[in-house]
Amino acid sequence: MHYGMVIDAKYCISCHCCAAACKIENNLPEKTWWNRIMTVGGDTMEAPAGVHPRLSLSFAPVACQHCENPACVKVCPVGATYRDPDTGVVRQDYEKCIGCRMCMAACPYTGVRSFNWDEPKNGTDYALGDADVPAHQKHVVEKCTMCWHRIARGEEPACIEVCPSRIRFWGDLDDPESDVSKMLASRQHTQLLPEMGTKPSVYYLV
Amino acid sequence: MTNHNSEAVMDELDMSAAKAPAREAAGARAKAKSGAALNVAIGVSAVITVAGIALWAMQISGGMVQTAMRNLDSWGLYITMFMFFVGLSAGGLIISSVPKAFGIKGFGGISKVAVMTSIAATVAAIGFVVVDMGQPFRVWELFVYSNLGSPLMWDIIVLMTYLILSCVYLWAQVQAEKGKVSAAALRVISVIALVCAILVHSVTAWIFGLQQSHEMWHTALLAPWFVSSALVCGTGLVMVVVIAMDKAGYLKVQRANLVKLAKLLGVFVCVDLYFFGCDLLTEAFPAAGGMAVVDMLVSGPLAPFFWGEVVLSLVALVIAFVPALRTNPLLVVAGICAIAAIFCKRVQLLVGGFQIANIDYPAVLTPYTVTDWQGNMAQAYSGLVYWPTALEFGIAVGVIGLAFLVLFAGIKFLPLKPADEK
Repeated sequence: MHYGMVIDAKYCISCHCCAAACKIENNLPEKTWWNRIMTVGGDTMEAPAGVHPRLSLSFAPVACQHCENPACVKVCPVGATYRDPDTGVVRQDYEKCIGCRMCMAACPYTGVRSFNWDEPKNGTDYALGDADVPAHQKHVVEKCTMCWHRIARGEEPACIEVCPSRIRFWGDLDDPESDVSKMLASRQHTQLLPEMGTKPSVYYLV
Repeated sequence: MTNHNSEAVMDELDMSAAKAPAREAAGARAKAKSGAALNVAIGVSAVITVAGIALWAMQISGGMVQTAMRNLDSWGLYITMFMFFVGLSAGGLIISSVPKAFGIKGFGGISKVAVMTSIAATVAAIGFVVVDMGQPFRVWELFVYSNLGSPLMWDIIVLMTYLILSCVYLWAQVQAEKGKVSAAALRVISVIALVCAILVHSVTAWIFGLQQSHEMWHTALLAPWFVSSALVCGTGLVMVVVIAMDKAGYLKVQRANLVKLAKLLGVFVCVDLYFFGCDLLTEAFPAAGGMAVVDMLVSGPLAPFFWGEVVLSLVALVIAFVPALRTNPLLVVAGICAIAAIFCKRVQLLVGGFQIANIDYPAVLTPYTVTDWQGNMAQAYSGLVYWPTALEFGIAVGVIGLAFLVLFAGIKFLPLKPADEK
């Protein structure tokens, strides 16, 4: 089994629903975002690229790419980040992480790994999201888990079902009958920074 | 804060040099004075170390949010200093072991002092890794869950071996002088120490050089380049320390040995600059992605460190190669210039690696994202993407204090004087 995602980014409207759903579902600390919507070009979020009247506006939701050849896994000195052999999900063990941040230096996808630079607090007085989410820890690295707690129960990751444009898909890339496999078979697609050779499990339709 | 004190210590030991005729008369007086000065130096460096530990406790309890490091520039001053001190540790061991390993004439009595500087610098390097860790109390995991494929793990293993070996090597030299360790055995240890010294610099380079994600780091040249940079600043350090100890009356350095050291320094600087040139040309020539690295160094945010390295290297080079300039004060200047040049190199590598982001599209920015997070991405990268906070400087001074403490304690308690002088 090899879980992956397909994102039809052409129709992304930058509503940040997937990012917010991720933040709540995983009880993310206030200043942490595992999933972020990037504005392609442009100076600030949601600002078009180019010069009037030749403007363009496009977006790319970016989180951990769950690479088949992950740069982060190779460099972790204690094996706190590892690729789950049964699902292909790149996981992070908060209990093991020594906070050396070698994985953050190794990951080519700028900013998908986040360090808890102080005591993680979510901005409310109570925990949010799913009860099965492991507690966040100070001074460790964390990132998208592909909603490990949900896929373990046979559910989709939280970012998939909230998308109002219905452009996020999740499934088994090894199964030719899965939605994601069919989509990749029929549509042109790309991956982020393919030249890095990391073989991401997240595909963007073009 | 504690910065002032450590500078005072350095002044006392490094910054002056005696005129040759006055030396003999002042010898006895200097010896008595230097004994007291050494005790003061040990006291001051101990106080700085303790202050550093207190600041480190603050960092752990209050959070690393007090540093300037953030998700997009996740390493900073500590890892810069780690690289720098690994480099400084080279010179002593290599200068001491090469003559013994190849059976050629050495540098007289400075061999043991040189190894002592290696030990002190290695202690600082390990200290900087420890203060950089988010979870220092999980350090035992490194030995239980070791991922032997990680360059960081290689470095920890090699660095530990290097420290132990340096101590063994120093001990063997002392024993050899007493006739308890044979010359052959000492030579074997020299060879092992030399191989380990080259490994420790290569492996430190590989922490950066094997990462395809940073164009500036990802080059096969990085490992040999780290060795050459280490030789430059290590030789500079040995030169400064032995001239200082000569001035303090602790040992006598022969003019010929200093000249040999200076010539070596000049050659090492040349090799280092040659590697620098090769790397810049390779980055720039395709006029593609690597051009961004060259622009950043030559005219971008890192230009002060780039030109700083070039100018300081040239000053060291001129002093080392022009016989008329090889006076003790100028040789100290050359040594300090060489050390400062390599420090500039380390800053270029560390900050430069983070200065060019693979994905710099605007997205949500929080105080965790990048040091200067309040504008947009372009603003965050317009100057240096990272500049340390006062706490980081304080902890760094504390770790350096620890290195000085080790060095001074070694000078005081170990028989580092040349054997023939006793």
